[in-house]
Amino acid sequence: MSLLVARDLSVSASIGGETLPVLQSLCFSLAPGKILGLVGESGAGKSMLGLTIAQMLPPGFACSSGSLSFGGEDLIAMPAVKRRALLGRDIAFIPQEPLSALNPVLTIGQQIGEHLARLGLATAAERKARALALFDSVHLPQGEQLLDRYPHQISGGMCQRVLIAMAFAGKPRLVIADEPTTALDVTIQARIVRLIVDMQKRNHTAVVFITHDLRLATHICDDILVLYAGRPVEYGPARRLFSAPAHPYTRCLQLASPSMRGERRALLALPERMPGLRAWKDLRGCAFAPRCPVAIAGCSQAPPALAETAPGHRAACIRSAETGGIVAPPPTAVAPAGEHQPVLQAQRLCKTFAIGGLFRRMRFSALRDVSFELRRNEFLGIVGESGSGKTTLARLLVGLETPSQGRIRFATEVSDTRRQRRSEIQLVFQDPQSALNPRRRVGTIVTQSLEAEGTATPAARAERARELLREIGLAPEMAARFPAQLSGGQKQRVNIARALCASPKILVADEIVSGLDVSVQAQLLDLLIALRRQRPFSMIFISHDLSVVRYLCDRVLVMYRGEIVESGATGEVFAAPKHPYTRALLAAMPPDDPSAAWAPALFESDAGSAP
Amino acid sequence: MNAILLLVFRRVLVSVVILLIVSALLFCILRLLPVDPAAMSMPPTATIAEIEAKRREMGLHLPLPQQYAIWLGHALRGDLGTSIHFRRSVVQLVMSSLPATVELALLAMVIASVLGVGGGLLLFHMRGRRVCEQILDLASITLLSIPEFLWALFLILVFGVWLEALPFTGRLSSEFQRPVVSGFLLLDTLLVGRPDMFWDCVRHMLLPSLALGVAFSPTIMRVLRSSLLDVYQEDYIHQARLRGQSEWRILLRHGLKNAILPTLSLMGVQFGFLFGGTLLVEVIFSYPGLGSLTVDAVRNADLPIIQAVGLAYCVVVLVINTAVDACYLVLNPRVRVA
Amino acid sequence: MTRIPQWMMSARVLAGLSVAALICLAALFAPLLAPHDPNEQTLTSILLPPAWLPGGQADFPLGTDSLGRCVLSRLLYGARIAMTVALLSSFGAMVLGAVLAHVAGYFGGAVDWLIGRVVDIWMSFPPVILALIFMVGLGPGLRNVILSIILVDWTRFCRVLRSEVLIVTRRDYVTAARLLGFSHWRIIAREIAPATTPLLITLASLEMGIAVIVEAILSFVGLSVTADTPAWGQMIADARLSIYQSSWNLVFPVLAIFVTVFAFNILGDGLRRTLDVRLAEAQRA
Repeated sequence: MSLLVARDLSVSASIGGETLPVLQSLCFSLAPGKILGLVGESGAGKSMLGLTIAQMLPPGFACSSGSLSFGGEDLIAMPAVKRRALLGRDIAFIPQEPLSALNPVLTIGQQIGEHLARLGLATAAERKARALALFDSVHLPQGEQLLDRYPHQISGGMCQRVLIAMAFAGKPRLVIADEPTTALDVTIQARIVRLIVDMQKRNHTAVVFITHDLRLATHICDDILVLYAGRPVEYGPARRLFSAPAHPYTRCLQLASPSMRGERRALLALPERMPGLRAWKDLRGCAFAPRCPVAIAGCSQAPPALAETAPGHRAACIRSAETGGIVAPPPTAVAPAGEHQPVLQAQRLCKTFAIGGLFRRMRFSALRDVSFELRRNEFLGIVGESGSGKTTLARLLVGLETPSQGRIRFATEVSDTRRQRRSEIQLVFQDPQSALNPRRRVGTIVTQSLEAEGTATPAARAERARELLREIGLAPEMAARFPAQLSGGQKQRVNIARALCASPKILVADEIVSGLDVSVQAQLLDLLIALRRQRPFSMIFISHDLSVVRYLCDRVLVMYRGEIVESGATGEVFAAPKHPYTRALLAAMPPDDPSAAWAPALFESDAGSAP
Repeated sequence: MNAILLLVFRRVLVSVVILLIVSALLFCILRLLPVDPAAMSMPPTATIAEIEAKRREMGLHLPLPQQYAIWLGHALRGDLGTSIHFRRSVVQLVMSSLPATVELALLAMVIASVLGVGGGLLLFHMRGRRVCEQILDLASITLLSIPEFLWALFLILVFGVWLEALPFTGRLSSEFQRPVVSGFLLLDTLLVGRPDMFWDCVRHMLLPSLALGVAFSPTIMRVLRSSLLDVYQEDYIHQARLRGQSEWRILLRHGLKNAILPTLSLMGVQFGFLFGGTLLVEVIFSYPGLGSLTVDAVRNADLPIIQAVGLAYCVVVLVINTAVDACYLVLNPRVRVA
Repeated sequence: MTRIPQWMMSARVLAGLSVAALICLAALFAPLLAPHDPNEQTLTSILLPPAWLPGGQADFPLGTDSLGRCVLSRLLYGARIAMTVALLSSFGAMVLGAVLAHVAGYFGGAVDWLIGRVVDIWMSFPPVILALIFMVGLGPGLRNVILSIILVDWTRFCRVLRSEVLIVTRRDYVTAARLLGFSHWRIIAREIAPATTPLLITLASLEMGIAVIVEAILSFVGLSVTADTPAWGQMIADARLSIYQSSWNLVFPVLAIFVTVFAFNILGDGLRRTLDVRLAEAQRA
């Protein structure tokens, strides 16, 4: 008997007079005690399911056809009062951003108490005892003190554990976890996932696990439903779906993310990107057809139905037999990593910040004794979690901050003026949204460094803009656009182009592919490799994603709490990590092989990483 | 609790510094005046030589910093000089009119807060209902465009002149003898056990405090509304709904508790402005407070009084700001426990 | 990409602009429009009601005051003072406040601290009292009214704009411009100021309403322009004395102030909505 059953569930939105499909013909069934993975890129509509269950869709959105039943009752037709009675008791949610999901002006105890009161615990003493028991079950130490803490006083991982405790407090039959780990650090992510799975097993709860990470979903879910442009494209048992995908999109997702083990293989970078919501209703055939490597003319004629390709495994593709034939391109020869000639040397860098007011001034040391060198034409990866000091290091290198101790030496002596640094080192920012002035055109933005020199004529600037856009793979017409008219990946390309305009010898890239979908990420990584072949430059590539660093970089530095704890050639460090922290980072990554055992560390009872 | 004491202590220190600077500035500005305080304090028949002697006596021939130092020395001993016009101690004059103004301002603040919070909740409640929302929004902008002295005139016209329902001059009807205990008339009439006098006093204060309160409420309304709208965008509101909490609970416990914070810091500024607003309202209602004293002093170029009332306004605003900051601290754990 | 900017399409902006423009025109052409000299006293017909009421005279459309002066003419001439003060003083306060806000917000550190403390000191006075004290120091006259409103109200701009400048300065594109070696002034002018302009315009529009009110208050207590220049606050003060004989005298200047302030407020609100500036709400006072 299934707990949650969707039959042809469709959700549509009426925006500006037109009706747009948001979810189309969703079919799945989830049995008690099982985990369903809902996988898709951002904007694929995967968060809509949770909102549909709670009937808290944004204004203008409504369920247009089909049914969604929970324990035999129709959730769509159910009166609001009855549904609200289910929420928090039988159906619980684990949010994406734990820090913003808790009310900042109420203590943890007040918030969990409020929830327990709703669950029927009448007295304060009962609620307290229950809260402490719940904290224990999610391995939160020092529950007594925690009750009096405010959300801003504890770390994101702890907040998420509090929220998990609240979600499971009423022994719900269904828990919906919407990207519950995206906002957290790698090592915490794995522990949170492990915790959710443990709690789910203990309470025999059904879970809908929404994620963009196919590999992660494979490891923890029983079934997986892959969404593309609001449509289900593949649905089946997790391991089978991963090892023998029947839809080209699933296969391409796998091939677009770099692996952590084995030979370094090239990525399959799909062209373009998933169409936006407004374009969905004009898609006549398969939504994926325009990007599909095995598409034929028939694909764009009529939308394919979900058809069974193996028992319990269904895919919406007329070419599913061809899926296995999709392979990554042959590995490209990477330009030889430099001649050991350093272009930059960091010598015993330290950075301390003074925090707090006049009265209680405290010193916080963000970087401690960091030394390394960057060689000519080398890609150097820096990995670390939040608080490891990697962004501070980037700001020191480009001259936005001055080191408290130690010095940075360039191959050619530069004085500290920015004008001279400009052609030496440039920074590519993490968030392209904030890095591009929304009031300027792309052409102006990419040639800003000519503007700073103040010598180029407008014609020369336009010419240079075209040249740069070509180099980063954008059409020259884009020069006339404003940043708001570009997609996230395109903005990031413009961001790179601006840094390249001054032809710096060194690029510092701070988390430039995080927050992008895997297919766009693959495109950008390939762009960086292509640029490296065309015009040799060195790069410091900062990332929390080990697989990306492994794919792109020659050497890697592992940073932990402001110090470099391990460094070496990428292959060696990741194959045989020496420092326990590097090992912990690696263990937190789900393995490529879906059948391999993956048991991330549990929270130790005293593990509360400081905020 | 400690944090609040610390804040108050710090604010008092800062306020002392501010008062010193303000008094120096006031001193300089008032010396820009083309009037001669010495000449003004003498009878019109005085000779040039007599005036010059007076100037020396008053220390007006000294350089400005030295004059200020002398003034400050006196001020620290509680002597702010003698009024040129009334020929009475300035401290006495100010202290006798300050309670009346504070009383009026407090009542107005209560009215402004009640109307502001109530109206803000109403405006917020009407969100999404297009016509209602538009009408209420326009109404609040209309209210916003009526400053306190226009309200005062309007209320006098309607309730005083046309309906003849309420008195609109002074603090008390002439048949009563004003009791002097604390200077706060509402309190004093109760202390001497005269409910009839208390009621008369309330009737006198109703129109001026209403004028002030109503004039300053729309800002509070609008800021509370927009803060509530902001807070309702936050994830924790959404999550509380997903946990099945009732809308009332969400509004009071999650919405209002957060939205009141930006509203409160605005109210601090607003109440400072409101206190300034008493000036004209007092003049219009012939209410014997600091405002009336100020305007008289200005008309008579009575420099010692202007200097003193300037400081008095400043002190009250600093007290208001400190009180509001303390409230903010109580309600906001993020600044309380950093 | 030439199209009518969105702010022109808003009903509120249009309404506010047209009423303000009408008042400006009335003020500009007051000598042509006014039926009488504003100071001409007709002692034979004092405290006349408006023309449409019994006892009214067609010669004095809005009646006369206690000295037999034409109320309509005085209103029109009073609009000259009100609008001059509104436009010039809000412009002045805007320039002063904006420059200090940008300097404080962009450079931070000691400059920011200093400007912040000056604003604190200014804010420890109710603005009306401060304006009054400045007027006492400066003496009456139109120029001094404008000057004292500028000296009082620049803090309104400075406070709100500074936080906006801080937000913009934290954007990465500003950092990018610094890395590319632009000068500070150029960054403020080219990268930051365009982003804060919508807020600035909105605040300026609200400030005009405030300036009209402050001028009325000052002229009410007789500290604005000299007595022979008609001003709305002065008219109110005069009419208050004869409130029992003729309340009409009070109604018209009150309405004039209200309509003018309302026009600026609705314009500001329309600008706030269409230019999407969030901080403006906090400024209203």
